[in-house]
Amino acid sequence: MKKYPLGEFEEIVMLTVGILYKDAYGVSIKKEIETRLSRKVSVGALQTALRRLEQKGYLKSFEGEGTQERAGRPKRYFTITAYGKKAMEYTKNTREALWRAIPKVALDLKMIATFGTKHETRE
Amino acid sequence: MKKIDTTPPRLFLRFFRWFCHPDLKKYIEGDLIELYDERVKIAGKKIADIKFIMDVLLLFRPAIVRPAKGYLHVNNASMFKSYFKIGFRNLLKYKMFSFINIWGLGMAMCVCMLLILMLAEEISYDQFHENKNRTYRILSKRLNSATANASSPFPLAASIKEDYPIIEASTHLVPGVGGDATCKEKNTELRGYFADSSFFNVFGFDLVMGNKFKALVSPNSIVLSMEKASLLFDDENPVGKTIEFTDRGLRIISMGLGNETDSKPVSWGSYTVTGVIDTKKFKSHLKFDALVSTASLENLYHQEKIANATNDWRWYSYCYTYVVLTPEKTDRELEASLNDLIKNHYGGFEDLKGFKLIPQKLLDITPGKFVGNPPSLHLPVEAYYVLGLLAMVIMISACMNYTNLSIARALTRAREIGVRKVNGAKRKNLVVQFLCESVIHVFLALLIAGLLLIVIIPSFRGLWVNQHLSFDLRANVYVYLAFLALAFVIALVAGIFPAFHLSGYSPVKILKKIHHEKQGKVGLRNVLSSSQFVISLFFIITTILLGRQFKHYLQFEYGFNSENIINIPLQGNDYELISAEFGKIAGVSKVSACEFLPATAMTSGIGVRKAANEDVISFEQSRVDANFIENLGLRIVAGKNLPEGINADRFALVNETGARQLGYAIPSDMVGRILDVYPYDKPVEVIGVMADFQFQTPVMADKITPLIYRNQPEHFSYLNVKVASSDYRETLTRLKQKWGAVDPVHPFRYQFFDDQLVRVNQWLGDLVSIIGFIAVLAIFIACLGLLGMAVYTTERRTREIAIRKVLGAANFGLALMLSRHFVKLLMISVLISAPLSYFLNNLWLQNFPNRVEFGLGTVGVGTGLLLVLGLFTIGSQTMKASSRSPVESLKME
Repeated sequence: MKKYPLGEFEEIVMLTVGILYKDAYGVSIKKEIETRLSRKVSVGALQTALRRLEQKGYLKSFEGEGTQERAGRPKRYFTITAYGKKAMEYTKNTREALWRAIPKVALDLKMIATFGTKHETRE
Repeated sequence: MKKIDTTPPRLFLRFFRWFCHPDLKKYIEGDLIELYDERVKIAGKKIADIKFIMDVLLLFRPAIVRPAKGYLHVNNASMFKSYFKIGFRNLLKYKMFSFINIWGLGMAMCVCMLLILMLAEEISYDQFHENKNRTYRILSKRLNSATANASSPFPLAASIKEDYPIIEASTHLVPGVGGDATCKEKNTELRGYFADSSFFNVFGFDLVMGNKFKALVSPNSIVLSMEKASLLFDDENPVGKTIEFTDRGLRIISMGLGNETDSKPVSWGSYTVTGVIDTKKFKSHLKFDALVSTASLENLYHQEKIANATNDWRWYSYCYTYVVLTPEKTDRELEASLNDLIKNHYGGFEDLKGFKLIPQKLLDITPGKFVGNPPSLHLPVEAYYVLGLLAMVIMISACMNYTNLSIARALTRAREIGVRKVNGAKRKNLVVQFLCESVIHVFLALLIAGLLLIVIIPSFRGLWVNQHLSFDLRANVYVYLAFLALAFVIALVAGIFPAFHLSGYSPVKILKKIHHEKQGKVGLRNVLSSSQFVISLFFIITTILLGRQFKHYLQFEYGFNSENIINIPLQGNDYELISAEFGKIAGVSKVSACEFLPATAMTSGIGVRKAANEDVISFEQSRVDANFIENLGLRIVAGKNLPEGINADRFALVNETGARQLGYAIPSDMVGRILDVYPYDKPVEVIGVMADFQFQTPVMADKITPLIYRNQPEHFSYLNVKVASSDYRETLTRLKQKWGAVDPVHPFRYQFFDDQLVRVNQWLGDLVSIIGFIAVLAIFIACLGLLGMAVYTTERRTREIAIRKVLGAANFGLALMLSRHFVKLLMISVLISAPLSYFLNNLWLQNFPNRVEFGLGTVGVGTGLLLVLGLFTIGSQTMKASSRSPVESLKME
């Protein structure tokens, strides 16, 4: 059904790849997400997401140089494809459209409600 | 940059490398190492290790893990395809070699498959019992006897159940039911056991009709087999009906030799049928027509119709005992209990010192080790070892052919191997390739073997012994799997040596053509080839020897006349009445009666002494009537024949050997002497002395032993009808009519004495057939191998032969030159095998009673046969090669 299927974590990874631009490989992406979003990212989860994104055609990769701290293993750099950019834009647009569609009151009430519940739980 | 002095946990790194998708491996590994390096610097090795391990474990997810198969194997599959393709092309290209290999392997495999079928059949026995893994038969063994006895004493079953809690259930079967069951007009012979309700607790037999928990409880109840029930009651429901049973002392195993003796019929009264058992549905080592409730024994004891052994621990051949252990108890605990039981019950018996009761697993009975007094006949495991050994010898011989020919053809394959290696094939790949070829050969051989098997099985079923072993040889899934497994094993055995040998060639040497077969390898081929002929010659000589021995037994001079004599079992009838009736028939010249038929493997030993205080001499005893001596053409050398009449049993005839052993070298001295014959109750006067004759089966006794004949009509079990007219059929119909008039109950049975004497020795004939079959296979395989070698050598030397011919060599001379090597091989084989066969065969022959002469004649005939076959094989090829026109051969090159 989805025109551009993109999960929440996948979106974060895509955005991070965009931020890092030409320096996006496994470790750097992981660190970037960890510092910016202060959430733990396991190598496994990241690699899975990267592989899936590449299979979907949102990312493409090329082999980089091997360095000494990597014991000679090459890096695999990722860049966003045009299709990937479209997917990101689509996601962003749909979110924004949704945001716009929410009446202001609803959001206010929501905030009060959440405060209320927080209060209760404290007691 | 600082050098990494620590490495990530090796085990997990390796694990990662193993599971990771090969596309991603190097990148992710790089990431992992980079992270690890950093963590070591920040947090230390320990934390870095833990985090590394976590990372690796978290990486183990579907997207990262490599596909289970299909990725690397895609390549291999096409390679295998190519191996098989090339294998088949080679097979078709060298048709001669393929033919030789496939037939050789096929014939040998057929023997192995036959053996697998036999074993599968043995294993299929007794699989239906619920507790089959916990059920044991208790064997008894005296200290000095070589084999254990299948039977055990009567009180054992009850006692062991009571005293040892590890026994969940126990039962025993008492043989001794063997006689005629009558119901209204109908009549049939029943053989079976006494059993009680515990029979159904131990075994998985079930009743078609009747309640199995009540069927064997009350006295005088009987459970019939479906077959016998339908004979007696047709389609009526037999349960609740009554039958009359008359015991005739028939044994549970009927040999069909016509040498069974029945005791005088004793009426056991009437029995109520309480159940019907479909014995055909249960494949068990226990075979029976009827089970009589053990409670019935009480009555029979009382009437003194059966000896009471209720508390007799000494009579260890009384019954068959089976026990079921409680779950999780071991054989050892059962053994310990039995040893304890022996201590308690056998302490007082001096003569049974060292007596043992040994548990035998129910599933180990078929195929099982040889036991005495078995409830049914089966090939013992020892026989399977021998057959297995024979099959293996044949199989190895066929594998040798394959190995031999493959290596011999090495040069034709060498270039292919060289090119493959240069193109990057590893030795491993070549080994796989050659093994693929042997797999192709063996599977084609499997087809041939299957076809041969279809031909062989009927003749195997038809062997005389099979009447008693009742092999059906039906295949099931497991058998087919076993065949496949066999094929793979043989492919490996036959192919492994050539595979490693051929793949070991150095490509440079091959392609430069400086590769030469080493002398040692030729030596190996010679050894393989000649050992085949050594084996073949051994089998040939053994077969000829056995065949001659068999013929010797068939033509044996027994010293009595068996011609024109028809033996008719009395089946419990009055002898005088029937013999009088038979005597009236026109074609019958004389009727006599006896207890045991001479030379049919049944005798009965008794003790004879001159007086109460003298030594006992063991005699064989039979009861015969006054006509017997004349009817069989026995000669009386002193005294008179046994008299007829009521007081006739006061007199006895002994043979010359008997007289000699009693101390009367001159027969006439023996006449008139009084003997004390077991059971030593009244004196017996020797009325005459017979000339010695072979009254035992030739294989049973080498020398003639003492014999005593007495006229006691109550013991007679056979009539010997001498037929005068040549029209047997007419006489037989008349005999049958008379029989029917006197005894409407039992069917008329008869056997010609001559046939019986053949049948008694038929086991040896079967042995000749089996060994002969093996011998044919062995020589055929050996000749095939020789043929292969000859074809190969002559082909390789085509050019040489042509040039020699051009230079003036004669055909015959060339053939001789080509054959020389093979003839030498044959000669060496003969030189080794002839003395070996002579020696090995003499080992058994020297202990064989009434043996034939085994000398140069037999060995010579065997050797001659081998040489003719071998030389013909070689000659056919060398003659063909040498008579070929040199022009053609040279043009071909």
